Amino acid sequence: MNDNYISLKSVNLHYASLAYKERSLKSLLGGLLKSGKSRPVVEDIHALKNISLEIRQGERVGLLGHNGAGKSTLLKTVAGLYPISSGELMVKGQVRSLFDLSLGFEPDASGRENILYRGLLLGLSPVFMRKKEEEIVEFAGLGKFIDYPIKTYSAGMQVRLAFAISTAVGGDILLLDEVIGAGDANFMAKANLRITSLIEQSEILVLASHDFGALTSLCERGLVFHYGELIFDGEISDSILYYKKTNGLGL
Amino acid sequence: MVNYFNKIWASRHFWFHLTLSDLRSRWRRSFFGVFWTIIQPLGMTLLLAFVFSRLFNTDITLYAPYILSGIITWEFIGATTTGGSLSFVQADAYIKQCRHPLAIYTLRTVLGSMIVLMMSSIPLFCWALVVTPQHFNASWLAALTIYPILALIAWPLSTLLAYIGVRFRDVPHALGLVLQAVYFVSPVFFEAKMFKQGGLDAFVDYNPIYHVLQLLRAPILEGQWPTLSNYIFSLGAAVIFALLAVLVGRKSERKVIFYL
Repeated sequence: MNDNYISLKSVNLHYASLAYKERSLKSLLGGLLKSGKSRPVVEDIHALKNISLEIRQGERVGLLGHNGAGKSTLLKTVAGLYPISSGELMVKGQVRSLFDLSLGFEPDASGRENILYRGLLLGLSPVFMRKKEEEIVEFAGLGKFIDYPIKTYSAGMQVRLAFAISTAVGGDILLLDEVIGAGDANFMAKANLRITSLIEQSEILVLASHDFGALTSLCERGLVFHYGELIFDGEISDSILYYKKTNGLGL
Repeated sequence: MVNYFNKIWASRHFWFHLTLSDLRSRWRRSFFGVFWTIIQPLGMTLLLAFVFSRLFNTDITLYAPYILSGIITWEFIGATTTGGSLSFVQADAYIKQCRHPLAIYTLRTVLGSMIVLMMSSIPLFCWALVVTPQHFNASWLAALTIYPILALIAWPLSTLLAYIGVRFRDVPHALGLVLQAVYFVSPVFFEAKMFKQGGLDAFVDYNPIYHVLQLLRAPILEGQWPTLSNYIFSLGAAVIFALLAVLVGRKSERKVIFYL
């Protein structure tokens, strides 16, 4: 039994509304003094509602849904970032996730140093990263800028570097939030090749996207989310139709 | 709990390199670079020692190492509390992308400050060796225990503050005030005997800061072993902060991501 899987049983997830309501001691104390009539009520956001699903070894799953439907939340929950409020979540296999790519650079350190830090962030060893370094530098194609501090980089350059590092190693379970659309045309072509090979290496793919073309070509199974609920689970082409119908899009 | 520490150990490469990166960016593009950690407290000590030794009629060569030990330790406490309370906020990009135990981000802060403390205590040892060589004996080994013990106090304390700091962004500001207050009632620069003469024994006897400082001061300045109560108070503070940090962490560690 070496099979990788993702399994959710009646999983609920709430974002703590406190995080947005009371950002400081002042507003907490202020709230105690004032009666709550004039303040807008911020409720806990029920981001995933009673989700049950199983994803088995070898599956390629696409997530569909309007903005805020819960696609990214599901991905981050599976990645273990968000705590579920109830239910049961089981993930077996090494998870590799690609979201918020340009986050998490040390601005004062050089590109080369950041390759090491980010690799370590992903849980890789320094020895392994040194071996991979040249390949990543090559792929990012930043020329001499690789030895400059990250803060001198343009947004596009940062994304290229981040992409090169994050995709240098695959995992059993690959979580993708939107297919990465950054960099110039030349880089995009390289990036697409890289993503495709990553997907081929992975045992399980979960991809959240609005790009029907990418979804149909990469995935076999589709999950449609609507305001935090899983409303459809089936063939990818059927899912796309269902998604279009529920959101009132032309067929 | 054991599991948690295993995860911290597993990510050791990550936090260790972050610590080094912090230190490197701190000294980047400065002429004296790393030597500033030695120059800065030393300069401050000479200034203070000159004024205080006149004011209180004490011997500057003996009073200066007292002040220096106070300054560098205080610097460490200030950096790990104020800096520590921002550790999670500062690491938000990492926390949002990868699930590592959050305590590694405060460990990063504490470790960085610890390295600075170690560097800046080199002149202290040298000064004491030159001026009062008669105090050099086996008790100096005990002086070295201040480093692990301070780290054991500072790590849970800054973790605790980081949890509060992520919820209430007022913490660093409030800490500035608290630290100032604590500083005035602790024998950091002023000698413990001055407090006793003023009838403020309690500020010395029950003050963990005094006891921690004694771990360093008793051997280096007087050639004596720290007392048992010095160790009890220091380790007691560590245990209390550790319990609080575990208690708070258990409830809120997973929720931190919502507040970033």
